Amino acid sequence: MSIAAILANPASGKDIRRLVAHGSVFDNQEKVRMVRRLILGMERAGVTKILFMPDSYAIVPRALNSISPSIPVEAVEMPIRGNQTDTTVAAGLMETLGAKCLVVLGGDGTSRAACKGTLAVPLLPLSTGTNNVFPFMGEATVAGLAAGLVASGRLPREKCCYRSCMFDVLLNDEVVDMALVDAAVYDDVFFASKAVWHMEKVPQLFLTRCAADAIGLSSIGGQLQAIRPEEPRGLALKLGGGSPVMVTAPIAPGMFADVPISGITEMAPGEIFPVSTNPGLIALDGEREVEIPSGAHAGIRLNTEGPMVVDVRETMALAREECVFRQPS
Amino acid sequence: MALSKKTLIHMYETMNRIRLFEQKLQEFFAAGEIPGFVHLYLGEEAVATGACSTLTDADMITSTHRGHGHLLAKGGDLKLMMAEIFGRATGYCKGKGGSMHIADLDLGILGANGIVGGGGPLAVGAALAAKYRKSEDVAICFFGDGASNQGTTQESLNMASAWKLPLVFVNENNGYGISCPQCKSMAVVDIADRAAAYDMPGVVVDGNDVLAVHEAVEEAVKRARRGEGPSLIECKTYRWRGHFEGDACTYRCTEELEEWMAKDPIPRFEAKLIESKTLTKKEAEKIKKRIAKAVDEAVDFAKESPMPPASALMDDVYA
Repeated sequence: MSIAAILANPASGKDIRRLVAHGSVFDNQEKVRMVRRLILGMERAGVTKILFMPDSYAIVPRALNSISPSIPVEAVEMPIRGNQTDTTVAAGLMETLGAKCLVVLGGDGTSRAACKGTLAVPLLPLSTGTNNVFPFMGEATVAGLAAGLVASGRLPREKCCYRSCMFDVLLNDEVVDMALVDAAVYDDVFFASKAVWHMEKVPQLFLTRCAADAIGLSSIGGQLQAIRPEEPRGLALKLGGGSPVMVTAPIAPGMFADVPISGITEMAPGEIFPVSTNPGLIALDGEREVEIPSGAHAGIRLNTEGPMVVDVRETMALAREECVFRQPS
Repeated sequence: MALSKKTLIHMYETMNRIRLFEQKLQEFFAAGEIPGFVHLYLGEEAVATGACSTLTDADMITSTHRGHGHLLAKGGDLKLMMAEIFGRATGYCKGKGGSMHIADLDLGILGANGIVGGGGPLAVGAALAAKYRKSEDVAICFFGDGASNQGTTQESLNMASAWKLPLVFVNENNGYGISCPQCKSMAVVDIADRAAAYDMPGVVVDGNDVLAVHEAVEEAVKRARRGEGPSLIECKTYRWRGHFEGDACTYRCTEELEEWMAKDPIPRFEAKLIESKTLTKKEAEKIKKRIAKAVDEAVDFAKESPMPPASALMDDVYA
C-alpha cells in the first residue's frame, strides 16, 4: 500500500513575530484549503491511502468537506494535546503505520517537531508563513504530486530527496534536542514568548545552511557564505564584541538587524562547538527551547544524518523525464 | 527579556495577591457573607499580571465580569475592593456596585463590567481620548472568548484599527462562554485569527506563562505608543472555578480541570524565579505570608465597615 501522511499544525503562523516584525497571520482556513489541494495531488500521483494528524481545528476533516477523494483518508489514533508534541507523536505513529512520505504544513519549528518523531521517512515540509527556511514555499497541489510520487514509489526516493544536515544539541555531553536550520545561544534565563529578535542577546549563532536570499537568523550567515542543506559543513558565528565587521540581514519579515560578526568558523561533522554562555538558553530554529542551567555545559554538533527531504522541483523534473504524467499518443 | 529583579518580584507578588484574594472570596461567598454574584479569576492570574505590568497609572484598562484580577494587577486597593464586594459603604462604589462595577479612575481602571462585550466600546473611547489629547497613554481591553463573539467587540476591533487607536485587545480565552465550550460557539480555534480581518497583528500566547504574556503585551503597548495602532493578543488559559461561584460545572470534566491545574501559572513562575536566583524559597514564603496578612486585614476592614444607609439609595445615580 502506498501511504502518504499529512501533519498540519493549527498553531503555526501565530507567534509574536506578527507583532514585533511584520509576519503574516496565517489562518487555519487557509491551511484547510492547502490540505484540500494536497490531498488531490497525492491522489493523482498514485497514493492509495492518506494518514493525518488529528488537531483541535480539524484541518483535514474540514478539507474533506468539499472534496471526495477515492482513497481512504484516516486520522492516526492519538490524544490531542494542542502543543508541538502532537506533531512529534504523530510523525512517529505514521512511520509505524507504514507512511512513505510525510507532508508537514507549518514552519521551521513544526518541521523540527516532526523530525523529532522520525528521521526514517522522507519529509516534504510545506511552508505556512513567511518566516521559514526549511520548508518549501510553493503550491500545495504540486507538493501533493511530489509527495505522492515518493510515497507511491513511482519515482525512486533517492533521486527525489536530499539528506539534510541538522544539529545535535548537547547538554552535559548528552543529546537533548535538535535543530534543522539554526541554533542561537541566547543570553537570558526566561523562554517567555520564545521568539528571537533582540540580536544583542545572541553571542553565538550556528547554521546548518546559508543562503543569500534567506529570511530569519540564517540570513546573517547567508551574507557571508553559501552552504546548501546537504553539504557536510556548517557555520559557527560569534556575534557582537564590538567587531567592525557588520552584516545587515532580514532576521524576520520586515525586520532588519545590523549584526557585528566577531568570528567565523566552519563546522565539520561530529565536531562539538562549546556554548560559552552560562546560564542561558539555546533557541532552535528561531525559538527559545533549551535551558542551560547554571554550571552545566552545552555544545552544538553538526550531524549529516538529518531528515530525507523531498525536493519538489527535482521530483517534478524527474517525473517529466520519466513521462509520469504524459499520456501515450 | 530585560526585566529587573524588582519588576519580576512585583509580578510574583501580584499573582499571589490575586490568588489569595480570590480564595478568600470563595471562602466567604460559600459562607453566605457576600451578596450578589462573584466570578473568580483563579487560574488566570498570569494574564492580568503580565498585561498590566507593561502599563503606567495613566494608561487605562477596561475589565469584565471576571475583573478582580485586572483591578488588582492595575493597582486596585485590597481594602476598598474587599469592602465593595462585601457591599459596605467604605468600598470603591460605596457598597452599591459590588464585584462587577469596581472602578478607580486615578489608576486608569475604567471599571469591571457586567455586560459581556461591554468593555470594547469603552476602551475605544479611552484610546480615542488619548489620541485626541496627543498623550502617550494606551488602553487595554480585557475580554473573554464569549465576548469575542459579541458585535460590540468586533465593532471595537474595527473602529480601533480604522482610527489607528493606541489600544491593545487582550483576549482571555478560557475555553468557555458561561457553560458553552468554544467549539460550540465559534468556527475558529484561535481568536487571534480574527485580527487579520481588521488589518492588525494577531498573536497567540500561553496565558499561563506570565512572562510570555508580558513580552507580547509589552510589544503591543510599544507599538500603540508609537502610533502604529491596535493589536490583538490571545492568551490561552483556563478558569479553575465555574462561571460563577455556585456553578456546578456539569459541562466540563474533572480530567480537563486537573490538566489545567497542573499548569498553574504561579508555581511555574516561582520555579523560574528560584532557578534564576531572583528569589529564594524562603523569600517566596515570606511574600505569601505578607500578602495573606494583607488580605485578612482587607476582610477585617470590610466586615467592620458599615452597610450603606437606606437614605443613600438615590445618591450617585446618574440616570
